[in-house]
Amino acid sequence: MIAAIRALDVPIRAEAGLTRRFEARRSIGTSKGPKAKVDWADLIGRVASHHDREAFKRLFEHFAPRIKGLMQKAGCSPDEAEEIAQTAMFAVWRKAGLFDPATAGAAAWIFTIARNLRIDLLRRRARTDRLEAVSELPDAPDPAEPADAVISRGQDAARIKSAIKQLSAEQIMVVRLSFIEERAHPEIASLLGIPLGTVKSRIRLAMNRLRDILDEDT
Amino acid sequence: MTISHHPPEDLLADFAAGKLEEAHQLVVGVHVAGCARCSRFVRAIEQLAGAALEEIEPVPTAPDAFDRVMSRIENSPAARAAPPPASVTDHEVPPALRNYRIGKRRRVAPGLSMRPIELSGSGKARAFLLRSAPGSRMLEHTHTGTELTLVLEGSFSHEGGRFGPGDFDYGDDEVEHRPIVGDEGPCLCLVAMTGDLRMNGLLGRLIGPFVRL
Repeated sequence: MIAAIRALDVPIRAEAGLTRRFEARRSIGTSKGPKAKVDWADLIGRVASHHDREAFKRLFEHFAPRIKGLMQKAGCSPDEAEEIAQTAMFAVWRKAGLFDPATAGAAAWIFTIARNLRIDLLRRRARTDRLEAVSELPDAPDPAEPADAVISRGQDAARIKSAIKQLSAEQIMVVRLSFIEERAHPEIASLLGIPLGTVKSRIRLAMNRLRDILDEDT
Repeated sequence: MTISHHPPEDLLADFAAGKLEEAHQLVVGVHVAGCARCSRFVRAIEQLAGAALEEIEPVPTAPDAFDRVMSRIENSPAARAAPPPASVTDHEVPPALRNYRIGKRRRVAPGLSMRPIELSGSGKARAFLLRSAPGSRMLEHTHTGTELTLVLEGSFSHEGGRFGPGDFDYGDDEVEHRPIVGDEGPCLCLVAMTGDLRMNGLLGRLIGPFVRL
């Protein structure tokens, strides 16, 4: 019972603190930009259509340090994170024509590029003893997004967006910390000031809720 | 293709985050490629990851990072053609596996054959294609690790239900199944498996790699 009360009480303050930290990060990030709100998708479009270097530079300055930050958070060494950040931005230039703003946000698209490069890096590292030459950038389809799997993506995009909006801030936070920043459950518990059991059940609830909402209007 | 068995959500989220080891990434990926429902879920997690990327604390890149990327762009040929698929005529191999080297078929027991999929060796799990004859019945067994199975053709049934093309079966050391392959034709599955699979006795060694299906 006491645990239950604490579970209701403590996390709200703890998460408020964490949210403030994220807010602070965000304002640091945008203060460097020329505008308060930059249309990253538009910049990617300009790279695709005009090989616009100025647009690319702004994308680079915004995303490269964030990719590096996320990769380090997810367990890469600083050198590996740097390599992934640079190669990911190289891929953003090369694949800009494949970006479809109707189906994914710019940041989500760039995340998938960095994620796939990290997968590639881990495999390459495992293989170095046996094979030496590896293409600098795989032209093969992304493992998570085979071309033949594209089923009414635009239509789905709106549904996905509204599903995410229906998750609570608490749920988004645990999903982020657990799956994207790849923190262990005990670490999340101490970060948010909630019991370990609450971390586990909150993740489970968030997963189920997301799936239920996405299934609703199938 | 009606898919009624899906991977658990946390496995899909790990897949979207790129956290799965290679064999698991492969099996979940082939399922997601053919499943609109799981594909939506994965893209929802990717959207959350995009939001996280926006809000993460930036870490400065090397001072010459931008110049190095620009010179890489300038010095690289526009676009190389993708390498030709390794096995275009291999009808057994689903498109998602075309970039993998797949070993020769090996008969392991009557009505049961497998083809290993060559992985980088970064993970502990192995992946293979498993073909079993219609109506065959597997020995009852348990195993120590996890096992992900995706049906590509045919079907099998066990206490958990019937599994047809596109269906995903997740097994761990808590389940004890005795699958029966459907009569309609051979059952082809993509399997990822971890754990110690050596069993005692000659028969155990023969079927060891396929302890659950």
